[in-house]
Amino acid sequence: MVEILSSPLFGITLSIVAFKAGLWVSQKVKNPIANPLIIAMIIVVGTLEIFDIPHQYFEEGASFILMFLAPVTAVLALTIYRQRAVLLSSFFPVVIGTFTGSLAAMASVLLLSRWLGLEEAIIASMIPKSVTTPVAIALAEQMGGLPALTIASTLITGLGGNLLAPFMIKVFAVKDPVAQGVGIGCCSHALGTTKAMEIGQVQGAMSSISISLSAIWTVLLVPLFL
Amino acid sequence: MKYLGQLGLIFALCLVGDLAAHLLPFSLPGSVVSMLLVLVLLASGLLKERHLGESADFLLRNMTFFFIPPAISIIRYTDVISAIWWQLILVNLVSVVICFAVSAWTAAAVIRLQHVVSGGRRG
Repeated sequence: MVEILSSPLFGITLSIVAFKAGLWVSQKVKNPIANPLIIAMIIVVGTLEIFDIPHQYFEEGASFILMFLAPVTAVLALTIYRQRAVLLSSFFPVVIGTFTGSLAAMASVLLLSRWLGLEEAIIASMIPKSVTTPVAIALAEQMGGLPALTIASTLITGLGGNLLAPFMIKVFAVKDPVAQGVGIGCCSHALGTTKAMEIGQVQGAMSSISISLSAIWTVLLVPLFL
Repeated sequence: MKYLGQLGLIFALCLVGDLAAHLLPFSLPGSVVSMLLVLVLLASGLLKERHLGESADFLLRNMTFFFIPPAISIIRYTDVISAIWWQLILVNLVSVVICFAVSAWTAAAVIRLQHVVSGGRRG
């Protein structure tokens, strides 16, 4: 049994099965809380705990999956490149809106965390959490944060933006569909963008392009918060 | 062979990005430098979408899958997180609201300004 479990294929297979199950459940339930990543996490941790499998066995396979995080981040450039026509259609609102938004996201995390007396490693994990997960993980690691905590923060942020978007639009009286999309994409990346797409086509397109732009601004502005 | 070639190119670009990150005078993660490098190569036309092709789309479509291992490592920090869970939720949600308000208002203000400028030109 140990021979099978200690093979890297064990961790990889378990992750794939858990992810597929997570996708299946999230498509059935159709609630943002039923997030495929959260479901996959529960399945993997549950399997390891129930069968009392040491985590080092899972990590044999996990290291192979982790190796793909850099290539995933690199090809994000392709999504940015494909959105160039949409970007040009609303260039200044998107570029300037995501600039102030990214700055506000990082500054608010820093000030609020300091006020609450959180540790530096925790703060570093949260500062880049508004952007798309692979970029957020890379930046947090660079600043001495914990990638796991960054993923948890991007999940809370994305789900929060998804659930709060309709109310925030009303409360802050944002009437322009372009501005609504910029706000949602900047504050809550892809998880919020699914809500923006439900609200409207313009909102969805602007939210998608704002994910890319806020990621670039965050990369450029993060040295200010080191 | 097509997929293997695409994947090989993506890996090579990551290695170049890593190397460039070491040489840069400021610190940026290698993967982020690779992303900026690919963007510049695409924009300049040196690299075409088809060079990255199906392999890149496979990675993008299944992006969330690759977050499972780092997400699982959260169980190593359960004691840290159980001590500060409400602060984590509070900080993350408050910053969502602040970021939304600032970015949406800025975008709306820029749009209004553009209307004024173009209206002025017409007038």
